[in-house]
Amino acid sequence: MKPIRKKRLMSVLLILITSALGSYLIIKALDSNLDFFYTPSELTDQEIPNNKRIKVGGMVLEGSVLREKTKIEFVITDYKGSIEVVFDGVVPDLFKEGSGVVVLGYLNEKTLYAEEVLAKHDENYMPPSIDIGN
Amino acid sequence: MTFLLRALILGLTLLFFTFFYLYINEDKYYPGADFQTSDMPKFELYDLYSEKVINQDNLDGTFLINVWASWCITCRVEHGFLVNLSNQNIPIIGLNYKDEKENAIEWIERFGDPYKFIIHDLKGELALDLGVTGAPETFLVSNGTLIAHYRGEVNDMIWKDVFMPIIKKEGLFKND
Amino acid sequence: MLIEIAHFLTILSTGLFFLCFIFSFLLSSNDTNVINLVSKTYSHSFLLFVLSFLIYVYLAVNDDFRVLYIAQHSNINLPIFYKISSIWSAHEGSMFLWIVFLTIWGAVYNFFTSNNQPLKAKTIGVISLTSVGFLLFLLLTSNPFEIILPIPPENGADINPVLQDPLLAIHPPMLYMGYVGFVIAFGQSIAFLVEGKSEIKWEKQVRFWSLIAWSFLTLGIALGSWWAYYELGWGGYWFWDPVENVALMPWLAATAFIHSLSVSSKSSILRIWTLLLSILVFSLSLFGAFIVRSGIIDSVHSFANDPERGLYLLAFIGFLVITSLLLFSYRFSILVSNKRITSLSKESFISINNILFGTLIFSTMLGVMYPLIYEFIYNQKISVGAPFYNAIFVPITLLACIFMYFSIDSKWQQKLKIDLFKNPSIISSVMAIMVVIFVKYKFLISDFWTLASIFIGMMIITRYIFVIFDYLVLKKFTNIYSITAHIGLGLLIIAIGLNNDLSKERALNIQINDSDFYNNYEFTFDNMKLVSGPNYDSVIADFIVKDKAGNEFMLSPEKRKYFVRGQITTETAIHVTPFKDIYMTIGDQLDDGSWIVNIQFNYFIRWIWFSAILMIISGIFLAYSLSRKRS
Repeated sequence: MKPIRKKRLMSVLLILITSALGSYLIIKALDSNLDFFYTPSELTDQEIPNNKRIKVGGMVLEGSVLREKTKIEFVITDYKGSIEVVFDGVVPDLFKEGSGVVVLGYLNEKTLYAEEVLAKHDENYMPPSIDIGN
Repeated sequence: MTFLLRALILGLTLLFFTFFYLYINEDKYYPGADFQTSDMPKFELYDLYSEKVINQDNLDGTFLINVWASWCITCRVEHGFLVNLSNQNIPIIGLNYKDEKENAIEWIERFGDPYKFIIHDLKGELALDLGVTGAPETFLVSNGTLIAHYRGEVNDMIWKDVFMPIIKKEGLFKND
Repeated sequence: MLIEIAHFLTILSTGLFFLCFIFSFLLSSNDTNVINLVSKTYSHSFLLFVLSFLIYVYLAVNDDFRVLYIAQHSNINLPIFYKISSIWSAHEGSMFLWIVFLTIWGAVYNFFTSNNQPLKAKTIGVISLTSVGFLLFLLLTSNPFEIILPIPPENGADINPVLQDPLLAIHPPMLYMGYVGFVIAFGQSIAFLVEGKSEIKWEKQVRFWSLIAWSFLTLGIALGSWWAYYELGWGGYWFWDPVENVALMPWLAATAFIHSLSVSSKSSILRIWTLLLSILVFSLSLFGAFIVRSGIIDSVHSFANDPERGLYLLAFIGFLVITSLLLFSYRFSILVSNKRITSLSKESFISINNILFGTLIFSTMLGVMYPLIYEFIYNQKISVGAPFYNAIFVPITLLACIFMYFSIDSKWQQKLKIDLFKNPSIISSVMAIMVVIFVKYKFLISDFWTLASIFIGMMIITRYIFVIFDYLVLKKFTNIYSITAHIGLGLLIIAIGLNNDLSKERALNIQINDSDFYNNYEFTFDNMKLVSGPNYDSVIADFIVKDKAGNEFMLSPEKRKYFVRGQITTETAIHVTPFKDIYMTIGDQLDDGSWIVNIQFNYFIRWIWFSAILMIISGIFLAYSLSRKRS
């Protein structure tokens, strides 16, 4: 009986150690790859480390979009706080002034350097285009 | 050993479902609801029916602002509930959003008018200041402050779960 | 009137399905009369329900906008094809289709399984019960039969133009077919546990059904990936979007499941794994439905949400899963086999890979759940980025591939013995190393994981070429479809590695008639035209692209504006070559009249889908060969 027991104990221990090690590695990988989500007003209130990738959601402020070549600069706001965004690339189709966006990027000196700009939309609630006579 | 394994599997599964149960039952589970307060923005827009100019000073007391449009089918679904609400003496102000005047008036004639009056926001100016992203959306306003915002259709359930708690807490609509 | 009839038929069939469940579980299932009764009740109920769906399709085609759902999601001007596909463009209708598929699987199983199969009655009972649960969900919380009162709209709404795509119209149905297909494996496992007779062999039959379901699931996922690539304009094949993840989890579990089945259909070892996996596959499929439909997760795919739906689904899924696990626990003894797994045998490698697949599923689940848990506790929104999944999936998948490689030479219940001088492994490794060296210097790749993927992928492919040679020339018996599927896997990891390493993109600001160079290609902006489509206006940019050798081709990315919702969509322009795609989208026009365009070079991306197709075809052929062997 004894050696069998010993063998069993060893295998249980081995399973425990491997799964503990595996879980540790997975959780470590998870922890270093989290993107935190903020609103513009939270960004003005809180200290956010510069080298951390974050997501910011809000509305594109009317009249704030500036383009130069493939670079685009705009301000996103939640009407309580706002933040400047710089992005190089093609913005999504639904991106326009006054619509919702989510930006993924790095913060530096109060400016968000975007890696990705996503337009937020709900397919059910899209207004149709109508001619607004100016 | 095998007993432990079985207990572990069952335990984890139970934990999993309990978590989701708790998560769903949290208030914030309504992703359309927003309870951040802010001041009613200033505006100057026409009444839908007349050339009368309406601005923030024409709004006082406690009321709902409902953003709607004739092109919005969900608004039509919501409409019956709004008529019920107005029959319970809840004042509702309509904000007609990016809509042609004639279509909007025809719509109201067909489906009934639950609104005290309707603001015609052709270009979506006030809607933009309110943070509207589409239609329908509904705001609860008390004495110049926006206290609740719901994106999407308001129905019995949303009214009970999203609006009633804050109405009770703030003691609104008591005089009616 | 018709819509009321359809509604009534659905209610009626719900009642009949419930009766079917009652018959199969409360009456003695050894009685042939009972089996006949169950089988007949199921067929009738199924016919009524399908009739109800066909009426619904008829109404959608004929623009009956009295029906709220059709009014909200269809339009009088849509082509017939999209009028039909508008049925599954949103929650209620796609749930309807989901249940139709669920019952179709049951009906096909019912039709092709003889009445003296010992588990047939109870399997149909479980399928019926599952159907009843979802039918009640449909009728109580997401009724597609609701009617607009008092006056129906004249033209209806319009389906989202992003969804107006032939591929997207077939992608969800394929995925649903895959998801619900595992109901048969689930039903048979539960029936087996309820019967409690360890001598009943259910694995062989289940293997056939599960292979077909697995092929559908693979197809659904591959189509979704392909759709996102060319329609959404994102330019990639996988984004670790939560909704993609909840489709990946059942796929991983299903893959582990069909491998376990191949073991336990030969001997009864690994039965515990097989049974647990069959429950897991179906649970994860249902979990996917729950996550997508409760609106818990924000995503491009998510449906409009309603907490009541979430709660109902959670309760029903919880009931199914916990009951089956309790049953599993109660009948544990009949699953235990006293045979031990020989180390380094084929079974042992499959078991190890089961554990590795389990780890992948666990990690994916963690990635999906962690933001929810974090938000719940700290009230702070977070998301898990693609780097997490890459960090987990790359090493574990490669490790699993290595074990898979060893399993090629291993035998059932025998220790692996490799005669180094006779075995083609040596030659295959040498060939793989040569390919790695060639690729490293030809494409200047230095990333370890990319080279490792190419090495392991090449090992698998070259080793199997020897097996195919043996099969074709020496007529040595092998499971040829399993081989093609695994060659698909080898191609897949090579393609993903190379795609990841080589692909690049750049945004370009360009005036009409100007040209610019990128990646040895010259892009000339030739023309810009305005075109009117049937229900949209569009701008089309014509680019003449010239490679180093002077070959020219045209790329015409397009931007459309749809009339009804005013939505803007991007139509990508893709030039396909065997080893890379040149992929263009147009962005906005600047004030000076120039345009912003995005150019991507996506290497080996076709090979990713090609390998998926290889796996799908292998799955179907393997299932077919199994069915021939049985009869």
